[in-house]
Amino acid sequence: MRDRAGPASSAVTVAEPERPQFDAIVVGAGPAGSAAALELARAGHSVALLERGPFPGSKNVYGGVVYGRILDELIPGWYDEMPVQRWVTRRQTMLLDGERSMTVDFRSQSWGRAPYNGATTYRAEFDDWLAGHAQKAGAVLVPSTVATRLLRTERGRIVGVRTDRPDGDLTAKVVIACDGVNSFLAKQAGLFPGDQAAHTTLGVKETLALPARTIDERFGVSGHEGVDIEMLGCTQGIPGGGFLYTNSDTLSVGLVLGLQGLAKSGKRPEEVLAELKRHPSIQPLVRGAELVEYSAHLIPEGGYDTMPQLVGDGLLVAGDAAAMCLAAGIWLEGVNFAMGSGMYAGRAASKALSSGDLGALREYRGLLESSFVLADHKKLRKAPELVLSERVQQRYPGLVCDLVELMFTVENPKPKPGVRKLLRASAKRNGVKMRELARDALTGLRSFG
Amino acid sequence: MAEPLRPLVVALLRWTDARARIDPLSGEVETDPRGAGPSEADRCALEHALRIAEAAAGRCVAVTLAPEPAEELLRDALACGADAVLRVDVPSWDSRVPDSGATTARALAHAIRTELGEPSLVLTGDHSADRGTGSTPAFLAAELGCAQALGLVELSYADGELLALRRLDRGRRERLAVPLPAVCSVEPAGLRLRRAALPSTLAARTATIPVVTGSVAAEPVTAHAARPFRPRAKELPPPPEADPRLRLLRLTGAHEHREPPRVVVTDDPAEAADELLEYLRGKGYL
Repeated sequence: MRDRAGPASSAVTVAEPERPQFDAIVVGAGPAGSAAALELARAGHSVALLERGPFPGSKNVYGGVVYGRILDELIPGWYDEMPVQRWVTRRQTMLLDGERSMTVDFRSQSWGRAPYNGATTYRAEFDDWLAGHAQKAGAVLVPSTVATRLLRTERGRIVGVRTDRPDGDLTAKVVIACDGVNSFLAKQAGLFPGDQAAHTTLGVKETLALPARTIDERFGVSGHEGVDIEMLGCTQGIPGGGFLYTNSDTLSVGLVLGLQGLAKSGKRPEEVLAELKRHPSIQPLVRGAELVEYSAHLIPEGGYDTMPQLVGDGLLVAGDAAAMCLAAGIWLEGVNFAMGSGMYAGRAASKALSSGDLGALREYRGLLESSFVLADHKKLRKAPELVLSERVQQRYPGLVCDLVELMFTVENPKPKPGVRKLLRASAKRNGVKMRELARDALTGLRSFG
Repeated sequence: MAEPLRPLVVALLRWTDARARIDPLSGEVETDPRGAGPSEADRCALEHALRIAEAAAGRCVAVTLAPEPAEELLRDALACGADAVLRVDVPSWDSRVPDSGATTARALAHAIRTELGEPSLVLTGDHSADRGTGSTPAFLAAELGCAQALGLVELSYADGELLALRRLDRGRRERLAVPLPAVCSVEPAGLRLRRAALPSTLAARTATIPVVTGSVAAEPVTAHAARPFRPRAKELPPPPEADPRLRLLRLTGAHEHREPPRVVVTDDPAEAADELLEYLRGKGYL
């Protein structure tokens, strides 16, 4: 019977291997895993890169933007070869309330030129490309293979993984777990402190096909320019948000929904998404598009305070497995943090392997703290809580829409009211006390400032 | 008595994208090599080949006619236990090549004979998940001068004899003793390709895949006629009536009784359904 990964699985105790088969095993060929494998292989270490899907990217769900600055360090000149759908030159933040919406729209043509800022991409193409670099550097990619358990010695040191293949034990001096959100390997190693359900969201996404010219016309872009729209107030009271990204000839439209809030609401995610697509601000953008894919995936959105221990005895954790997804309202980033953490995990492992002192794996955390990976998460540690709070989710979109509607509704012959008066009226109408508004503004300033 | 099985068992695998997309406007077929692989029928054929090679103490070789990205398929075959693999490449690869059973069979037969020797048994899926015509096995049997059996759901080899179970219509089955050498095409039924062990999977990742350039000569074009096809006119006797008007009426059928088409005019679905049921009853269908 095939061994399977799962929440009930536990590590297997084995004898200390005399000659490990590899210097390092990286579990998961996503952005974190491939970056780690690339660093290790470049340093001359033998590395096995395990991937559960038939090819890297085949199991991933993502509807976002890849911010490639970290790739400057990892793959110089990356933007000339990375499989890109569109370079994001237009970024919108949209607040929705009922049939109304308020949008902040920013455009920068410089984002559409080298060295670029962010791009939409298909993960099946992007992950395959990044894993290809790791393979070219010497990593051995093993597809269609699931790491089901950790192998650990009686002293507790992790010395490899068991896979779901016959004779499937694989040994190495270091294991890097990049096995994604809800990492069974990190859990088996006892690195997660508790239940992650409260800090995990469900992302659902539809990929909708439209001719490239139609996308250009509807979104006001041309050529390889693309648009990134982030939405708040579109989740029918469920903590979360929405997104819409342009690809070459498809749109990615979806929602991120808090798991517990979704379960409590009794609603189906596809129903909430269908409602978003009917909104007067969204419907004209997606009208007539053909649904080509519906997908869903968990996202670790708890931030810094919900991260597991990042280093175990012979084990490092990176990417979504380490909850390195930044969901801080105006900043929604994941792939760059995955690549960054994977790269530093690879460097820490490489240094430990070269020196023969596996204690050097502990330097991994220091590398992350001195880089954007943990620095940003630490700085924005209060942001997820604020963004997913009841006021931000359910009252502020209405408050903002009321305020703007009152400001721009012309009621001659009445004279125009002052903005402060309108703000007080809008706050009152949406059940927000001015004291709460000030407190949230201060929290926001502290978090984002 | 059947001829003892010679040791070479060839599994022919077609590299195909089962999720190819067709552009509705241009009709262009868009394939993605990352999602491509053998069809379920071909995977069954490989498993049959591995089992028969084991039973006959023979050699199992997996062969495909495909471009370089198809080497993943051959690595999987090596990991599952194939003794060797061979990729037949076609200069200036044309994705339409495998659509021509005759061309494919000619290239495969040439490559097998020159690189591997005369095969005892060639196994392949009876159809692929994409545009496969299923004609390649028949052409290949003709090229190799072998017997052919198709639509097989079971195969067993013992004492030099190959026995097969063939699916017939209406759930019937036919038992066959297949003379060797033969080309057998199997349906995706009865067994699944084994899961490759990790050590052989790792070994296959770095194995060198032998490649031979296939000779795909252009299909000979035979001209059957130099002029457009003009079917001979068919003679119909005129109606027997002497009166020209009656002959005209007979030819046009103008005054013959016909039941006028029945148009359902109601907007009420229940009434429309009742009317439809009444019509079917009137016609004796209910």
